[in-house]
Amino acid sequence: MIEKKVKIINQAGLHTRPAATIVKLAAKFKSEFFISKDGFNINGKSIIGVMTLAAEKGSELILTFDGEDELEASETIIGYFKRGFDEL
Amino acid sequence: MIFEEKNIFKKDSITVEFFFKNVKERFNFTLLNEKPFGFEKVIREQSLNRPQFALTGFMDHFTESRIQVFGNTELKYLSLLDSNQRKESLEKIFERNIPCVILTESNQPFQEMIDLSQKYNIPLFGSTYPTTKLIYLIGDFLDDQFASRLSAHGSFVDVYGVGVLFVGRSGIGKSEVALDLVERGHRLVADDVVIFTKKGEGILIGSGTQLVQHFMEVRGIGLIDIRSIFGVRSIRYQKRLEVVIDLEIWDEDATYTRTGLDENLINICGVEIPQVKVPIVPGKNITVISEVIALNYLQKHYGEDAAKIFKERLDKKLQEKSSNNDRSIDYFEHDFE
Repeated sequence: MIEKKVKIINQAGLHTRPAATIVKLAAKFKSEFFISKDGFNINGKSIIGVMTLAAEKGSELILTFDGEDELEASETIIGYFKRGFDEL
Repeated sequence: MIFEEKNIFKKDSITVEFFFKNVKERFNFTLLNEKPFGFEKVIREQSLNRPQFALTGFMDHFTESRIQVFGNTELKYLSLLDSNQRKESLEKIFERNIPCVILTESNQPFQEMIDLSQKYNIPLFGSTYPTTKLIYLIGDFLDDQFASRLSAHGSFVDVYGVGVLFVGRSGIGKSEVALDLVERGHRLVADDVVIFTKKGEGILIGSGTQLVQHFMEVRGIGLIDIRSIFGVRSIRYQKRLEVVIDLEIWDEDATYTRTGLDENLINICGVEIPQVKVPIVPGKNITVISEVIALNYLQKHYGEDAAKIFKERLDKKLQEKSSNNDRSIDYFEHDFE
């Protein structure tokens, strides 16, 4: 299991488009993927769940990956967070 | 691809015989010649022409390939001429290669018209309809005849009044979904072979073929007749195409829309139609999903787009920066129900 803390760095926060991209990226991997914010934990493969976080700029999330391809999954998704959802 | 260029066909011309046969009953047409002749002549244009200026001898821009319509104005003008002048005036028109002549509002032809029509082999028809109305109606009839048509392989069903076409590779279960929808009270337009006709700009009307009508092939049963099994409520003859549902086997590498914000359009004969890709996996009820797609289309049509509303809600919340994951109820206040 991999657990990583990430920060939202783009201006608009985790809005609809990046939320859709995250679930699409996550769906490519077999590993389970969870996102937790202020103790609220959701399944990262569910679009409604990811949007429910309503994570604005500066908020911190904990990403959890668990499964056979957890390493690739974490690299792909954390990379997307680090790029500011390609909105920087 | 289902909507290939080669599946589009278009009539170049219709014969006067075909035209007369089809409009006779519809628009109260009668043949004003004693015997039929010139029925082999062809109509290539969907517009009609009122000869007006041509009768005065002004033949510039005279559209001879069009059906010529003589209304009250033309006949009044001709009645003011003497027989020789009338013949001269009409001959300039009849000697051209016009397909046929129509007299409106039950007007009777002058003897010169009858003679000239015989001389130049041009059929003369009469109708009881007023000129403007007849021009509109025949224009619409010819527009339909000369419209682009497209044959598509799929099942076409009216779901809650929305014309839904199911496409996808052979054997994926299009007919079965259509059958299931009929069972739930929706109406089949056509199965397997659907002919779409372009009506005006931006409208495609689909119907079945004359031979097949509402017959359907179900793997393992063979041919069945939906109309005789489910009755008249289960079918309809034509429907506007509004949504294309593309059924496909779940593909792990393909991406399916998750929010519904990105509307996927498919261009058919120059008409943009929303297309929804539905992956098939065990345990998924395609029929119910199809009903929801139709209802969601109606919602959007009436101005309520769920995806957009949700996006706006989220954007607002992000702006407020008050993001705590509140329940939808603040406090349960001794309500344990």
